[in-house]
Amino acid sequence: MLKKLLKNEIYATGRILLPIYGITLILSLVNRILIDINRHNAILNIIGSIMMFSYVTAIIATIIVTFILIILRFYRNLMTDEGYLMFTLPVKPLQLINSKLISSILWFIVSIIVTISSLIILLLNAERAGLIREGWNLIFGTFKEYFGDNYYLLIFEAVLASIISVIQQILLIYASIAVGHLFTGHKVLGAFASYIAISIAAQIFTSIVMVIIAYFPGSTVEELETQFETLPHMVMLLIIGLGVLFSAAYYITTNYIFSKKLNLE
Amino acid sequence: MSAILECRSLTKKFGSVTALNNINLTLERGKIVGLLGPNGSGKTTLIKLINGLLVPTSGTLYVAGMAPGVESKKIVSYLPERTYLPDWLKVSQAIEFFRDFYEDFDPNKAYDMLRRLNLDPDRRLKTLSKGTKEKIQLILVMSRNADLYCLDEPIGGVDPAARDYILNTIISNYNDNATIIISTHLISDIENILDEAIFIKDGNLYLHSSVDDIREKEGKSIDSLFREVFRC
Repeated sequence: MLKKLLKNEIYATGRILLPIYGITLILSLVNRILIDINRHNAILNIIGSIMMFSYVTAIIATIIVTFILIILRFYRNLMTDEGYLMFTLPVKPLQLINSKLISSILWFIVSIIVTISSLIILLLNAERAGLIREGWNLIFGTFKEYFGDNYYLLIFEAVLASIISVIQQILLIYASIAVGHLFTGHKVLGAFASYIAISIAAQIFTSIVMVIIAYFPGSTVEELETQFETLPHMVMLLIIGLGVLFSAAYYITTNYIFSKKLNLE
Repeated sequence: MSAILECRSLTKKFGSVTALNNINLTLERGKIVGLLGPNGSGKTTLIKLINGLLVPTSGTLYVAGMAPGVESKKIVSYLPERTYLPDWLKVSQAIEFFRDFYEDFDPNKAYDMLRRLNLDPDRRLKTLSKGTKEKIQLILVMSRNADLYCLDEPIGGVDPAARDYILNTIISNYNDNATIIISTHLISDIENILDEAIFIKDGNLYLHSSVDDIREKEGKSIDSLFREVFRC
């Protein structure tokens, strides 16, 4: 059933997002061509400016629409009239949440790939490719110098931490919408209030964890300066650990409300 | 065979407002049941509880012996009193959706009914009138081979000609093992097809009886009795 839900979810969101991604990529190609041809013609210059403006708009839309659609889709499909359809399907609330979460992560990753690809289409040439390679080597060289031979592990941790942060943000929004729907008659307002309240609670919790960690031996500033190899790993692991913890809490909250407290009006 | 629906001391409150108060109700299989009451009497609340869209404040509710959940949703076909299909779908895509998720859905039945009512499967739902959308939803819901149908105001927004066709559809799709709950206040239109009537008054079960018994005992039609009971 999750497969069917996911198929349905990706179709419903893809029909909006894919055209936007397509336009972004086409506009980057158009601009590339316009940049490459000689522009001593006034009309070409004007067209070039308009196209560049359109391109910047499209890039912003790629990121913002993806983000807004992730939120709107969850709210509209589950909390408004469409919820009557989704919540009477013979599926578990957990599967509804999973299908939306997986499709959101997917589109988030695709939107990043589209953004990077469009920049490559727009800007990449042999000279710049050389520069990027040099910059890349410099960065990795520095990494190795500071963090030792297992700097790859650190990069892996950083990527993992980023992905978990994204999941954590999405699930925070889901949980806020779910808690908000318990406020009879003020669902959207309730969702905003819940978002702020949950964020503050998460901040306080994080601060408390930090303070507790600071009391452990070996964590004074003087000692930390000597631990250049282990400190970044500790920070990453902390971000990952807290991210997993918060994500689990939001996920469980959302599922609990949908299973035990559903109140569609 | 067990009862298709069983409510024990079922109560639902919204804040301080009691929508349903201590309902005890058992429905057998193979009946067409009219769920009757004025606006705001608790009809929709009861139907939403059956479908798991609301959770009871207290008491229990069982569909074929099961609490509302994945298994009960497989055998309950629900028509809400609002349009619940995403409006960007084509009619044919809505049929695909139902075929995907409900094992008991029969697409041939759905396409047959569309043809009978001259509805084009390639149209997008947003281009259709409210009444047409209601027809499509009813077609989808009745094309399932379910054990319990919950139809919330199925004929409210539909013209009288289509109303007859729809009521016929309901009766002809009805198998011996299935029960149909129809909530409405258009009693005279459906009176002829009902086996049983339930009157709900201010969240309380006022009456649950077979239509024949009511006619025999009270000597009047359901419609007249309704007007008497709910006189303003």
